[in-house]
Amino acid sequence: MFYSMLIFYSVITVVPFIWSVSTSIKPSDEVYQSNLIPENPTVKAYATVFGKIQPNFQTLFANSLFIACVVVVLHLIFAALAGYAFARLRFPGRDALFFVVLGCMMVPDQLRLVPMYQLLVKMELINTGPTNYLAIFLVKAISAADVFLMRQYFLTIPRELEDAAKIDGAGPFQLFSKIMLPNAAPVLATIAIMTFQGTWNDLFWPSIVLQSPNHWTLPFGILQFKGQFSTDWPPIMALVVLSTIPILALYTFGQRYIINVQLSSSVKG
Amino acid sequence: MQSSKKHSYRLSRKKSEILVGYGFISIPMALFLFLSVGIFFYAIYISTYDWGLIGPTENVGLDNYRRALSDPIFLKAIRNSLKYALLVVPIQSALGLFLALLVNSKIKGSKFFRSAFYFPSIASSAAITTLFIFLMAPDGVFNGMLKFFGVDVSNLFNQGAWLSDSRTALYSIIGLNAWTTSGTMMLFYLANLQTVDSQYREAAITDGASRRQVFWYITMPLLKPAHFFVVTTGMIGALQLYDQAILAGGADGSPDYSLMTMVLYIYNACFRKFEFGYASAIGVILFVIIFSLTILQKFIFGSSAWRGEN
Repeated sequence: MFYSMLIFYSVITVVPFIWSVSTSIKPSDEVYQSNLIPENPTVKAYATVFGKIQPNFQTLFANSLFIACVVVVLHLIFAALAGYAFARLRFPGRDALFFVVLGCMMVPDQLRLVPMYQLLVKMELINTGPTNYLAIFLVKAISAADVFLMRQYFLTIPRELEDAAKIDGAGPFQLFSKIMLPNAAPVLATIAIMTFQGTWNDLFWPSIVLQSPNHWTLPFGILQFKGQFSTDWPPIMALVVLSTIPILALYTFGQRYIINVQLSSSVKG
Repeated sequence: MQSSKKHSYRLSRKKSEILVGYGFISIPMALFLFLSVGIFFYAIYISTYDWGLIGPTENVGLDNYRRALSDPIFLKAIRNSLKYALLVVPIQSALGLFLALLVNSKIKGSKFFRSAFYFPSIASSAAITTLFIFLMAPDGVFNGMLKFFGVDVSNLFNQGAWLSDSRTALYSIIGLNAWTTSGTMMLFYLANLQTVDSQYREAAITDGASRRQVFWYITMPLLKPAHFFVVTTGMIGALQLYDQAILAGGADGSPDYSLMTMVLYIYNACFRKFEFGYASAIGVILFVIIFSLTILQKFIFGSSAWRGEN
């Protein structure tokens, strides 16, 4: 009974994805047939998304990867710097500034949409040239939630670790780079994975900011091609499959780090 | 002499701490002040103007807000968003809790099931919604399965086109997102479950409590931090529904505005009608709704839930 529930729900979560793989290798006339294994499997849909469509899969993939990587690096740097300062350094106005950061978590992206767009237009970043990428980097440059997560994690690192280095005369900067940062590897990994996933999967900002088809990301490409192909499902499913594989790989590889951090931050209570 | 040297060392240490502190937060704080705080007030400023493609023309006070609250399509969008949030949040939370309890027990393969249940949460909404639209098509797999179990929907309504019928479209999206988010909710509950001391449960069982009593009187109250977190983040996410709506119903939230959400409405006002002042007012209204619901939840769950999460 217990196992049947587990297996039943796993079927519900996994089978649709197997179906997308199956549909992506079906010829068009088999798409609505209920067989999971195609009678005449074909890679035509993959040939289409790699070659015929404009922009092709390679372009969409490169854009998604480029944007996600830059945003991950920005989030890591700013979260580590601010998180450390708020957790360990004493300076006037610290608590008030941290309160401002917490307040930033309350500002939804949808409220930012209009003023952000106006600002980007004024900065001439809404264009079809390469500076258009800067628009998305600016929009996503920093995350209050990541700063908060980082600070919470730094607070759990025992002060004794720093004391020895302090006696040796290490200043706040050395303490940060030699002691705190190496000990924060799990939370850095978590922020990296979650930011990568969030940026890779995001549809909202790319659909608003990115102007040229050559800048589209995978989710934005799926939205556009879904409209163009309407009922030609195999190529769309090929895009669905290809855009999900990197995230799946990332999670298979990085899953344990995420769970560790969630546990340690909640154990602290 | 010795002590004054030590004193000055401490002073310089304090000074360098202040300097490094401000140095470290300078760029992050500048970005926050610019990208969140400044933008927040800019949004309110824009919302009081008649602001088109050529920029602001006239300060109209609260006219944009009045206009929004008298537009039937916007009211429909609010109703849709609230209806969606009020249905999807309890379903995804309950499902998340149920899944967490399932995989929390020490059974063979619990790791596999955990990954399987989390799987729909990691894919992009664009990919998963597209897949969902395919599965829910009139001739799609879902209707085929219903037929297999003896339920033929093709005569019931619109040939079983779940997403093209205004009576079923929103509920279909609720089903979709309950399915995709329950994995994330499961993880939050799991993290909380693992901090719950099993001795409370054991003590209750020794005292003769039934399993049902243990669940309702011991486990549920101890999961309060997770309840708060899951409901709050779920509610905020639900009110921001956009991806699934535009993918399934296009920018109009078709059919018949049944998938028109508040965010989709902002998108339309902004990029199809180029009424930026009006769009900004809707953004402010959305913020006020989200903000007040979050505060309300804080009161419902009590202040201890906040501390529990920190």
